[in-house]
Amino acid sequence: MARLGLLLAACALMSCGDARDEGLGGQVAGLLLGGGAEAPAPQSLNVTEDDLLSNPGTYMRVNVRDHNRWETMVRAGSNGTRTTWIDGQSITVTEENGIVVATRGLPRDMMGAEATATWNAIRAGGGMVQRQVDFLDDQDQILARVLQCRIVSEGSDPVTRLQRTYPASRFKEECSGEGLSLTNIYWLNPSGRMIRSLQAVSPDAGYLQIDVF
Amino acid sequence: MKRAVFLVSSAMTLVLGTGSFAQEVPPTYSLYGTPGLLEMPVATTAEEGTLAGTLSYRDGLFQAVLNYQLTNRLSGTMRYGIVDLYNDFETSVIENELERGFDLKYQLVEEGTYVPAIAIGLRDFLTPGRFQSEYVVATKSIGDNLTVTGGIGWGEMGTHGGFDNPISSRADRPVFDETDPDGQLGSDQWFAGDAAFFGGLDYQINDRWGVLAEYSSIAYDPAPNAPAISADSPYSFGVTYRPRDAVQLSFAALNGQELAISGSFFLNANNRPSLSGFETAPVPINARSASARQTTTWDRSATPEAALRSALTATLAIEGLTLTGMEMTDRTARVRFINTRYRSNAQAMGRAARMMTQVMPGAIEIFILEVEARGIGLSSVRVARSDLEALENRPGAAATLFANAAFAAAGDDAALIPAQDDTAAFSWGISPYFALNAFGGDGSLSADAGLRLEASYQFSPQLILSAAVAQSAVRFDAEDPEPDSTPDLQNVRTDGRFYGDDGVPVLESLALTHYGRPGGDLYSRVSVGYLERMFGGISTELLWKPVESRFGLGAELNHVAQRDSDMGFGFGEYDYETTTGHLSAYYDLGNGYHTQIDLGRYLAGDWGATLRLDREYENGVRIGAYVSQTDTSYEDFGDGSYNKGIVIAIPQDFLTGQPNRDNYGTTLRTRVGDGGARLNVDGRLYDVVRDAHQADLSDTWGRFWR
Repeated sequence: MARLGLLLAACALMSCGDARDEGLGGQVAGLLLGGGAEAPAPQSLNVTEDDLLSNPGTYMRVNVRDHNRWETMVRAGSNGTRTTWIDGQSITVTEENGIVVATRGLPRDMMGAEATATWNAIRAGGGMVQRQVDFLDDQDQILARVLQCRIVSEGSDPVTRLQRTYPASRFKEECSGEGLSLTNIYWLNPSGRMIRSLQAVSPDAGYLQIDVF
Repeated sequence: MKRAVFLVSSAMTLVLGTGSFAQEVPPTYSLYGTPGLLEMPVATTAEEGTLAGTLSYRDGLFQAVLNYQLTNRLSGTMRYGIVDLYNDFETSVIENELERGFDLKYQLVEEGTYVPAIAIGLRDFLTPGRFQSEYVVATKSIGDNLTVTGGIGWGEMGTHGGFDNPISSRADRPVFDETDPDGQLGSDQWFAGDAAFFGGLDYQINDRWGVLAEYSSIAYDPAPNAPAISADSPYSFGVTYRPRDAVQLSFAALNGQELAISGSFFLNANNRPSLSGFETAPVPINARSASARQTTTWDRSATPEAALRSALTATLAIEGLTLTGMEMTDRTARVRFINTRYRSNAQAMGRAARMMTQVMPGAIEIFILEVEARGIGLSSVRVARSDLEALENRPGAAATLFANAAFAAAGDDAALIPAQDDTAAFSWGISPYFALNAFGGDGSLSADAGLRLEASYQFSPQLILSAAVAQSAVRFDAEDPEPDSTPDLQNVRTDGRFYGDDGVPVLESLALTHYGRPGGDLYSRVSVGYLERMFGGISTELLWKPVESRFGLGAELNHVAQRDSDMGFGFGEYDYETTTGHLSAYYDLGNGYHTQIDLGRYLAGDWGATLRLDREYENGVRIGAYVSQTDTSYEDFGDGSYNKGIVIAIPQDFLTGQPNRDNYGTTLRTRVGDGGARLNVDGRLYDVVRDAHQADLSDTWGRFWR
């Protein structure tokens, strides 16, 4: 975060073209720098439960299950319908309608993915879709995997977090492709927004549990 | 956050089967450091790309072996052995003689349901090979845990229970000749003389433990200059233990009487321990608004170029990139930077491009990325900002961006506005060093370790004064060079053991180097001073290497004098001056193979050629071999005409996962002779330049988006 903080501080001081007009500059600089120019400590973000609950749309909590790590993430930027979230140290997660389409900073990142078909199937209450997911292999080559996925609705399953319970409906996405099989679970609130998910990144990075506040 | 909510889902599977991520456990390695039983080979091969280092000991024979599985079928081995030998008359034993050897093995038939794997091999096949053997071997798995091996061996492997050679035309094998020239192909010996059967069983009890039983056809018969190893019985038994997948330990009872131990350590160039790396995430693309994308110019008074340069300098510095110059038009930004952090220049470019999206005005649609090294722009890669925005985190983004990018020679230096006012810089550091040298015809192996102080002062990005002072911790015998036994051939390398052994700090190098780019695809280097431990003078080099070509041509011309062995400033001790130089051709053969041919005059005045072949993995692991042959005759100068060696380089980030441009590397030579010796000058152009050229960039282009 010191890196990003420094970047934003540099931009704030030196007129960085469009940077100040776009989402990243204002939002993250405000969050990280508190309006000042000093970079925050390069550690996890100190976000209280109250912060999480009282700023909807601002924070994401991610459990990197294989590393037994919990991270609080803030928006680092958006590109079209996709938003990239960054934690206090080194990881970014990019999602589209809550579906993870990329990660960076994990031992085996998801380099890129499509999510539109899955999202449409969820909105339709289920269906079969095909998705491509790219990984970076040990030879620095992109390893593309085409997955056949079945999305089914699993009915109502309220989400409880921070002593509060939210109504939600649960969807399961089972995918398989060459040498790869995975299952994602999504929880959507009544207005159709994803509030929790358990999503596969890659064989070496495992699953992320994501709570969107 | 209640983790219990997810207990139900913790049984979910994320499985990759036999895909690219799968790692195989290597086969059992023998005391000779190759896939085998205890001393005999098997037909099984290691996984392609496996490097195995083995240390083994039995009474009278210590071996340090490097085995490399080049392809699925072909493997090569280099071996140093410290062996006890009978003398010329078998009357006594000479202890601890250093031997080197090379093996080759080729798997003819892969194992099938009913068919065993079959391989043919040569052990210690260069003269004078004390362990020289040839074999054909078959290995078959029975069930998951048991393998059975049977084979027929010649040479050393035909000495126990030997019978007449089934290849009747090769009934007699020439007797081992101690005086055979070093390192020649001993093909008149191959598959000649008596043959013998060998075989054995390898049973894996579980993933960690295995047992071996072997019937050996090596008798270790006493003979003049033969290894003094006792082997009364052909039966040997062993236990193998793998505390980790990458380590094998063996304990054996050999020939019914001898104990032996070995340890093998594996690394597979295809399986990076650091996976795809542990570096921190990049800053994401800052996508422009639709209106910003429409603009075709930008307000230079509101956003002056100087401010953009300052901002980009600061942002690139976060990524370990040093901005050196920038040129802007209404729609393009050309940036030149030094990559100090990432092994992959493609990754450095990806990071730079993302930072540019944070800084550059919306009208800037074209990014031209130029990596600089040693003060020269190495290439230019032109990418469209709208491509970056459209492709970020999309499947196939790397391939599409590569296809859309334009690769060319770096642009005009003069049009760049420097990002720094003062480019003078001083740097220094102290580090430990370790070196292993095989000097001269007597083949003694000497180790050296100590501390090295390095310093450099950069007058300008192209002009650098550098120096290195070393203090050995182990060499202070202060021996003087001995009278030259081959006065017609200058001791350009064999006296190396007398250099820097006085116990005081010595000047390893002190040189002024200038790098330049006299033409679009031409690169130059001039180095003057104390260029290396043994020579000082002037070294010049010119390289032609188009960015998009796999082919390069170089010319090097040096005039040097041999330094005094005290490694001070003097040249009087030897009074030897020479002109040396080469024409070099470099070619990237594709599929990870690179070759280099050098023709020219070597340090001792001998004329000849060096051929080098490298297997380079995209992740930077490199294993190469070279041979030099010059007109120096064996009859006149002994083991001087012919130099060969193995070069290994493993990028630090391969092991640590942390971004870094350094390598762990070494050159293993059989011996350092005076023939075929080249000047050890620092910073030869080809390796500097090719790193940012199209072929090398494409090797790691997957990292652009990381």
